[in-house]
Amino acid sequence: MATATGIHHRSYRAELRLRHTRAEYLRLALMAALLLSLPYNLGVYWLGIANSILIAVIGAVGLNILVGYTGQISLGQGGFLAVGAYTSANLSERGGLPVPLSIAIAVLVTALIGALFGLPALRLKGLYLAIATLASQEIILFVVRRWSWLTEGKGFVEVSRLEVFGWQVSREMFEVQWYWVLLAITTLVVLAARNLMRTALGRAFMAVRDQDIAAAAIGVNLTRSKVTAFAVSSGFVGLAGALTAHYTETVTWERFTLDVSVLYLAMIIVGGIGSIAGSVYGAVFIMLIPTLLTEIAERLTAVAPVLTEQLPAIKNAVFGLAIIVFLLVEPRGLDRIWTRVKDYVRYWPFRY
Amino acid sequence: MNRKTRRALALTSALAAIIALSACGGGAASGGGGSTADSGPIKIGIIADLTGATGDVGTPYNEGMMAYIDSINAKGGIKGHKIEAMSNDYAYKVPTAEELYKKYVSQGAVAIQGWGTGDSEALRTKVANDKLPFMSASYAEVLTDPAQSPYNFVVAPTYSDQMRVALNWIAKDAGGKAEVAVFHHDSPFGTAPVADGQKWVTEKGLNLGFKAYPMPKTPNQVGLLSQAKSQGAKYIIIQNVSSPAAQVAKDILAQKLDMKIVCLNWCSDELFIKTAGNEAAEGHILISPFAPASANKDGNKAVDDYLKSKGSSLANKGLHFAQGWHTMDVMAKGIEKALGDGGTLTGQSIKAALESMPAVDTGGVVGTGKIKFGTDSHRGSTGTGIYQVKAGIMTEIQAGATP
Repeated sequence: MATATGIHHRSYRAELRLRHTRAEYLRLALMAALLLSLPYNLGVYWLGIANSILIAVIGAVGLNILVGYTGQISLGQGGFLAVGAYTSANLSERGGLPVPLSIAIAVLVTALIGALFGLPALRLKGLYLAIATLASQEIILFVVRRWSWLTEGKGFVEVSRLEVFGWQVSREMFEVQWYWVLLAITTLVVLAARNLMRTALGRAFMAVRDQDIAAAAIGVNLTRSKVTAFAVSSGFVGLAGALTAHYTETVTWERFTLDVSVLYLAMIIVGGIGSIAGSVYGAVFIMLIPTLLTEIAERLTAVAPVLTEQLPAIKNAVFGLAIIVFLLVEPRGLDRIWTRVKDYVRYWPFRY
Repeated sequence: MNRKTRRALALTSALAAIIALSACGGGAASGGGGSTADSGPIKIGIIADLTGATGDVGTPYNEGMMAYIDSINAKGGIKGHKIEAMSNDYAYKVPTAEELYKKYVSQGAVAIQGWGTGDSEALRTKVANDKLPFMSASYAEVLTDPAQSPYNFVVAPTYSDQMRVALNWIAKDAGGKAEVAVFHHDSPFGTAPVADGQKWVTEKGLNLGFKAYPMPKTPNQVGLLSQAKSQGAKYIIIQNVSSPAAQVAKDILAQKLDMKIVCLNWCSDELFIKTAGNEAAEGHILISPFAPASANKDGNKAVDDYLKSKGSSLANKGLHFAQGWHTMDVMAKGIEKALGDGGTLTGQSIKAALESMPAVDTGGVVGTGKIKFGTDSHRGSTGTGIYQVKAGIMTEIQAGATP
């Protein structure tokens, strides 16, 4: 129960709950109301951005499981997104499989390939692992660019409009309908990831991250944990990739470059390493920066035309600045800032 | 029912409600295919690369488009409608291009001007669904087929056609058996004409050896040249932008190799000559569907006059400026016809107008001089000029060469 001195539990059952206080339920209800009302309040353009954010949330959650919870740094995000996208696009377009099935297979395939590229993690740590995963990024991108049968020699795959059991996304309501689909999937993903971290497997991940030798000593199977972490994380990322393919309706390698891997790392750094909620905040923050900058530049174009002219440069600068500021001021990201705000209010007028 | 199952049930029913809502959701109506009121502006969305990987040629192209719009608006617009150009830099990043595209659609654009191969491909199905005519500086073969790309219009000869013209010229120039090396950018843009080139050699029975090499991102191209040398290549066709092509020219000079470069359109410009230097560029062949200032074509006079009034000149801005200008001109001609045909101006009516309008005379600047689309082909032109670098000047050796 929540008091002015903090949150206290009177039973194990209470402690194990996902949410502890009434305020948390209230915020959840507000958030749900906000999310459910978005399509009625936003225009097509902003809803499109909301959809990109929802997909990014899935990818960021996946990456955070690996980097934040298991402590295995990965620069291979873009590559794994590509695996998911190309697998699902090819299975549904050329294999003729129903989309949900092809997405499910894409998730499994990405998990498998993720586990394969995770094998070096058994021997490598830190920077060395980062370079190994960088190799996986480059290898996967090389493959999707060079194996022309993947794209029938065209260099890209076209994906037809999403159709699930006879129901097809309509042109007029494209963003709205996709929003509901993505919101449902993203909600499930966030819930699944949140709960995964409360299981024995999730705790094993964290033990590996905090001190792998100690973890091994208390009986955590390091090999299995690390490979599973790669597989689970890549599975989520593969889902994000597959959804990207069906949502954007074109799969090209240009969408899965190293920039994307770095962008996702930025999301979890800004949001909060080792926090599912942080992945969500980070994805929203990083995806909104360029859009909001565009808006600001447009508003100020009469006063300062240089803003519009140099927009991409400014975007890069702000992106870099945001990461530096977060690393300096709050390395644990937006999630930690939010916790501090809540604590401040809860303990007021005391300091702690 | 215990607590767990009850909660699961609640969750499932909530999800069911969400999915059910999706069938009837309402607020965000479609913004696609916006129409123009009687004297309202004509909104055109422009996706430009000013600072990205191809910004060196993308900037004059975009300036050319904006200059055309500026000049036509100064004359009162198209049939009394001013063009409102929404032009933004996407830095050659496909996701940014998609974001910009969505923005233009929601702001009621009736036509889109794109730029690269990546964004043209990514937006191809979207413009077809949203029924918005789309032109870009990507001349890939697939974009010319209305069955596959109903709303894409290609004003210049495709990369494949340029490749065919290049091979024909080489076969004639060599006068016998010759080896050809194709150096291409490592991307869909680079590989676009390679397979068609190989096919052309076999089909036409040209007495040419043909081998393609992706260009590495190394500071010099000596390694690639030594591969070409061991192939015995006398001709090097380059499908890449100017700076790497100029590097090849410099390396050929430095290595004292007996090779002739044949550039397809993205390295056929004044920038190639400037970067390579007059000595290294001398004698190389440039296949350019757009006439440079040095060719003195009638169609470029208006462009030059406009620039002179602004204190510049076409020779100064380079041929990509004219390329942007004339591409926008073709779109404007389509819009003019659509307005003349009556009804509201939509992407659909512009498409119909572009397909049915008489050939646009570009005054000898683009391809064979005339650009014509039909309902069964969006290939605006098949001809291209062939130029040779002589003392740092692009000198026309053949105009309107067709495969």
